[in-house]
Amino acid sequence: MSLPRAYARTEADETVEVTMTVNGSATTLSLPSRVTLSDALRDHLGLTGTHVGCEHGICGMCTILVDGEAARACLLLAVQLDGAEITTVEGLGRQDDLHPLQEAFGRHHALQCGFCTPGFLMSSYDLLSHQPDVRTEDLPAELSGVLCRCTGYRNIVDAVDDVAQAHRDGIPGPGNCAARTLVGRTPAGAAATVAVDAVDAVDPGEDGGRHPDEITLPVGEPTITVDVTSELESGPEDVARVFGDIRLLARCLPGAELTDELGHDWYRGRARISLGPVRLSFQGMAHILEQHDDRVVMRGQGKDTGGGGAQAHIVMTAAPSGSGVSLHAEARVFLTGRIAGFGRSLAGDVSRRMFEEFARALDRAAAGAEPDAHSRPPGAVSILVGALSDRFRQRLARLRAGRRRRTP
Amino acid sequence: MKAAPFAYVRPGSTQDALAELGRDGAKVLAGGQSLVPVLAMRLGRPSVLVDINAVPELARITRADGQLRVGASARQRHVQHHAAAAEVPLLRLALPWVGHREIRSRGTVCGSVAHADPSAELPAVAACLDATMVVAGAEGVREVPAGEFFTGAMSTVIGAEELLTEVRFPVAAPGEGHGFGEFARRHGDFALAGVAVWVRTTGEDVVARISCFGVSDRPVTRDVSAQLSEALATAGARPTEPDLRRALADHADQIADEVVDTGGDAHASTAYRCRLTAGLLSREVARAYLKSLRSAEEGTSR
Ligand SMILES: Cc1cc2nc3c(=O)[nH]c(=O)nc-3n(C[C@H](O)[C@H](O)[C@H](O)COP(=O)(O)OP(=O)(O)OC[C@H]3O[C@@H](n4cnc5c(N)ncnc54)[C@H](O)[C@@H]3O)c2cc1C
Ligand code: FES
Ligand code: FES
Repeated sequence: MSLPRAYARTEADETVEVTMTVNGSATTLSLPSRVTLSDALRDHLGLTGTHVGCEHGICGMCTILVDGEAARACLLLAVQLDGAEITTVEGLGRQDDLHPLQEAFGRHHALQCGFCTPGFLMSSYDLLSHQPDVRTEDLPAELSGVLCRCTGYRNIVDAVDDVAQAHRDGIPGPGNCAARTLVGRTPAGAAATVAVDAVDAVDPGEDGGRHPDEITLPVGEPTITVDVTSELESGPEDVARVFGDIRLLARCLPGAELTDELGHDWYRGRARISLGPVRLSFQGMAHILEQHDDRVVMRGQGKDTGGGGAQAHIVMTAAPSGSGVSLHAEARVFLTGRIAGFGRSLAGDVSRRMFEEFARALDRAAAGAEPDAHSRPPGAVSILVGALSDRFRQRLARLRAGRRRRTP
Repeated sequence: MKAAPFAYVRPGSTQDALAELGRDGAKVLAGGQSLVPVLAMRLGRPSVLVDINAVPELARITRADGQLRVGASARQRHVQHHAAAAEVPLLRLALPWVGHREIRSRGTVCGSVAHADPSAELPAVAACLDATMVVAGAEGVREVPAGEFFTGAMSTVIGAEELLTEVRFPVAAPGEGHGFGEFARRHGDFALAGVAVWVRTTGEDVVARISCFGVSDRPVTRDVSAQLSEALATAGARPTEPDLRRALADHADQIADEVVDTGGDAHASTAYRCRLTAGLLSREVARAYLKSLRSAEEGTSR
């Protein structure tokens, strides 16, 4: 554990600067001294996995790791954590690669409403990482720092015991702590700034027609990777015509609209996405890096009016296939703020479906028809239904697999 | 449940910390595990918090002159697992009872002693071992024995402009044994009643001291050498634990009647606290004595 650096006296109406590492990413916040770590994580960094119940240290919902040891985030002032390393439940595992504890909680039905789950996961991670040989009969006392109103604790204890038995030589570390961008929202009125790698490099609205030299992508793993191949009926020449006309190409993208051409292959635009109750509206810029008959490479960057951000690197290639074309789209998408809270896989499903819809619109455009994708907000309902039913199928498959695993 | 605004400072030396504490309405922030709930509930509204966690000399845990010296920002959890702390077995016995792991990760030993909650474990440990509190102020440093340190519920001799820089626990010697027990509704809650016990056996001679907590406005310390000697006269110098407990039972009832002086509250009546204290006393004094015997024979402390 390293000591924080000394910090000069800051008056009650001023802000204090704190630099900490959250789930592997360094971040600097400037906050009033009374802001707790739980509020900083939730409100300033958009990491709402850390729950807040009592806000005075009793319930354990807000349990996180500070320098590898579990602590109550509601009993820490964010400003105390200068130089500290914080791990939250978001850092523990990935939706597509859960931590063994998360797996075990699912398998044992160790959650009902789920409100206490982040707290229990972080507390039990702390326990097993420091005491891998913990005895079964000591688990109730060792886990007593977190309260649960639903489960009656037995399944939680069973889940933790299961992981303890399977990992006597040490539990795997948090699986989602790669360096990545952290951008949150800044609550109205709070003078908080979030320093992050490059996301604020472009302010799309107030650029006066200028554009930056390039759009830099955050370091670390993207939030979503899309890799879709669609078979088009149109031939290679027709697709090449659409690839050659950025305006037409943009109209194929559901919900997107080009509003300005800034020259030198830079464009400004907006995109609207609506999913059930969710309405997202992005303003941003795109930069075409390569434009050939059979290949377009672009980068885009946008801000959602709610304070989230998105950056993407997209590569589209068209290869002849039979009488038509096989359109391959690859995208690395980095999401931050509230949209990131959508969850990796739901956002992933949605983007994949958007690309599929894009491919259909491109096929229409190549055939000389109206792409007809931008006129309505992207088939919101159909995208969501499609995405949800995909997930439903996956979950069923996972359940079946889980059942198979458990039968001896 | 949000704290009212306050000024914040994180000095880098004890001197700077003392200078900041000289300001009106200043409060020490150590682990924050008692102070932050108070702020959140707005039970207290200090104007400035002096965070002592950046002062290198206050973070130390050292062994010197037969003492374990625990600095003001040393965390309970680190002390619990620190090699040097093994030489103060009573501290090791008591720490797992302080809140939960998650609380001990941040809470400090000195903060708990300075906060002086009547139900807290560590003030009783300090009292039972007759630890020394090192208090620094503008005028210099004074050393206060535990017996004079606690002045009432959540009150100690530390002045508003002073800082508890260190608690010095005597390291256990061969022939010493310890006992610790408490009863709380749930693990991690403050105790309804608890006892810390220190016994030293040298040949035929026994010295025993107890500190009870949760039963008065501060830890209550008693020399119970005479009672232990009488019980040993009945049970024999090498009794089994159940035999010694039985021999101690009447004495324990009497001691409990003397030390318990809280009125009943929603959690427990006075009579119930007396019964708990008596039960804990006979069990833990018996255990401490048996450990002291073994320790005398093996030349180690327990
Ligand atoms: C859910 C929960 C359960 C708990 N259960 C228990 C329990 O069972 N037993 C128990 O003993 N405690 C318990 N605690 C309290 C815990 O042990 C605290 O850590 C401890 O009482 C205070 O230590 P701290 O370092 O957190 O001090 P802080 O909260 O930072 O400070 C507490 C008070 O002491 C003053 N202070 C702190 N350090 C110094 C110093 N060096 N010099 C002068 N003044 C100082 C502060 O100004 C403040 O007034 C519990 C806390 C919680 C939240
Ligand atoms: S919200 Fe932190 S302990 Fe309840
Ligand atoms: S699952 Fe609902 S509180 Fe624990």
